[in-house]
Amino acid sequence: MKKALLIAVTASLISTLLLVPLFSGCAPATPGGSKDRSFKPLDPDFAVFWDRQTTESAQLLQDLAAEFNRSWQGIPIKVERAGNYTDIFRKVSASIRAGVLPAMAVAYESMTNDYINAGAAVDLEPLLADEEAGLSAEALADYIPGALENNRFANHDNHLYAFPFAKSVLILYYNKKVMQDAGITAPPATWDDFINQCRQIKAKTGKYAHGVHADCSTVNGMIFSQGGDVLKDGKCLYDSPEALAVFRIYEILAKENLAWLVSPSSYEDNVALSKDEIAFVMRSSSSFSDMKLLMEGDTERWGIAPIPQKDPAKPGTTLYGPNVCIFNTTEAHIQAAWAFMKFLTSPEVSVRWSLETGYLPVRRSTLHQPELQQHWEKWECNKVPYDCLAFARTEPNAPGWQEVRDLATRAVSEIMAGVTTAEKAAAALQSGAERILARNARPQ
Amino acid sequence: MKFNRLLLYLFLCCGAFLALYPFLWMLGASFKTLNEASTPSLNLLPKVWQWSNVTETFRAAPFGLYFFNSFLVAGSVCLSVCATSLMAGYAFARLQFKGRQLLFFIILGSMMVPFELTFIPNFVLISRLGWYNSYAALIVPWCVSAFSIFLMRQAFLALPRDFYDAAVLDGCGHLRFLVRIGIPLVMPSLVTVALFAFLGSYNALLWPLIVTADDSCRVVQIGLVAFYSDAGARLNLLMCASSIIILPTVLIYFVAQRYFVQTTMGTGIKG
Repeated sequence: MKKALLIAVTASLISTLLLVPLFSGCAPATPGGSKDRSFKPLDPDFAVFWDRQTTESAQLLQDLAAEFNRSWQGIPIKVERAGNYTDIFRKVSASIRAGVLPAMAVAYESMTNDYINAGAAVDLEPLLADEEAGLSAEALADYIPGALENNRFANHDNHLYAFPFAKSVLILYYNKKVMQDAGITAPPATWDDFINQCRQIKAKTGKYAHGVHADCSTVNGMIFSQGGDVLKDGKCLYDSPEALAVFRIYEILAKENLAWLVSPSSYEDNVALSKDEIAFVMRSSSSFSDMKLLMEGDTERWGIAPIPQKDPAKPGTTLYGPNVCIFNTTEAHIQAAWAFMKFLTSPEVSVRWSLETGYLPVRRSTLHQPELQQHWEKWECNKVPYDCLAFARTEPNAPGWQEVRDLATRAVSEIMAGVTTAEKAAAALQSGAERILARNARPQ
Repeated sequence: MKFNRLLLYLFLCCGAFLALYPFLWMLGASFKTLNEASTPSLNLLPKVWQWSNVTETFRAAPFGLYFFNSFLVAGSVCLSVCATSLMAGYAFARLQFKGRQLLFFIILGSMMVPFELTFIPNFVLISRLGWYNSYAALIVPWCVSAFSIFLMRQAFLALPRDFYDAAVLDGCGHLRFLVRIGIPLVMPSLVTVALFAFLGSYNALLWPLIVTADDSCRVVQIGLVAFYSDAGARLNLLMCASSIIILPTVLIYFVAQRYFVQTTMGTGIKG
């Protein structure tokens, strides 16, 4: 009897011990998601910026912050490397529960959505419209189409809650040597050209023509290039003719053994391109500097081009990259963060940022800066990502979209593995996406 | 018989080589170019040795400061865990008090709670104590280890009761027995506990990343993050940094392996 009682008490205590951290860690940060919530600043003397830049980019950001601080009268900016995007999201989520936040942090749209729901993200509309600190209509019009709009959230009165930061576009990297061995002199301009060139390369060289990187942003970019869309008026379009055309491309690549599926989270397609083992890679332009390293300075053997299009007169591709979310701390910290974002995205600073990191500027007037012109003259491929800015489109920022991205990645993997067909993959992705979006659209 | 022994040694050598191979590859990749290191290949040696990788690695992050922080934090955690687990293990093994079993089960039960569940509440506590970006945040939450308490308890339980009875007759109290007689006898287990505590703290990444803000308190594992960018990892430099970082742990293991093996073998033997 005594032993049974002891076991029962022990079991209860252990269960309580297990459940307490579970509930305290999982509890919502803000009851009812109040937008008026304010947080203690992480550092009262500095406006801390949590970022993920490493290597040379990190040093440049530190230098830019120091330059800004020299002319700024308010609280100085301090940049802190806080890990990768997932680490930063975890850190911010933990900080929200602790009631203390940095002044700003990099965030993707899905993360910003969570921060808004927790009452942590600052509504930037009043700052935009402010007479002294705001942006003029001309300055606003100078931003790349979509870069600002993608940070307006339809489920939050279409207000701006984050600011564009480090952008890049989906482009085509090609190996000239492999193409020449197959008798091809120019990269494909259309998707029909792409498939035909892949077939030609396989037939004449025996090599795979392409390494498929299963990624939702690549799929979306290919849909944009087909003249289609991914989400319109709240309706998902993964079963549209344009989306189906994209999945059929993957199906052809798999069935005719023209491409192989790259291992998740690896860059083996980039390595294969540098070793003359494949002809085409579709990746973000942020891989440009690493590709130069892999190619060991050789600019004769490879090049970059816009991804193939259905109609080259109406091009489309993906505009990637995180934004910066400013948090509800003190007025002084918010003003410092906002001023720093305007400084970072000013044309003069954007040029430096772009030239030294490989990211693209978010303002059109930056493209007329003489330093950029000189950079383009060094190698014609240097201009390609900048040209793509004119027609690059951002991806949806609807609540739950991160889950949809995982489904799209799975669809590509399954087609390449031969597990499913293009039609079935499109149908499954469409129904899955509709379910996820409907679930997340319900009031919380 | 000799042939059988030869076969056995050959088989063991193959196994050892297979286990060692990834480390040898890591060492070789440390001196390769990015292209060569990224190529899927079994080649251990670089075509052209890139000695400059070492200087580039140290330039990427302040590894000198990171090493100092790592040793300070891991050393402090190691000492604290040894002290707490010694005393707690002795108490659970030798002392008789009400609720002893229950308390021990609760401590064992805490081992079932994964880190992912507790890091947010721990971070909240650290922030409210004002310990964010301090050594206290890196050391204090790890000063006690349930597994170490369990190990030490088992070690003390394995000591014959006669030792304690004889010590009591000579006028020893619990503390003197622990210090003069207990610790020397459970030294293998204590060294194992110290090894686990040191390595656990030295290898930690997520917690130090979350509770530190700048290089003043950061540890070596965070330095490895410096080699990842949006376009992937600088594999050759990452392997170079990993080879440097792993050196202290390998050296410590060589020094402590005798005790570690003794403990591992001793756990299966009942006195």
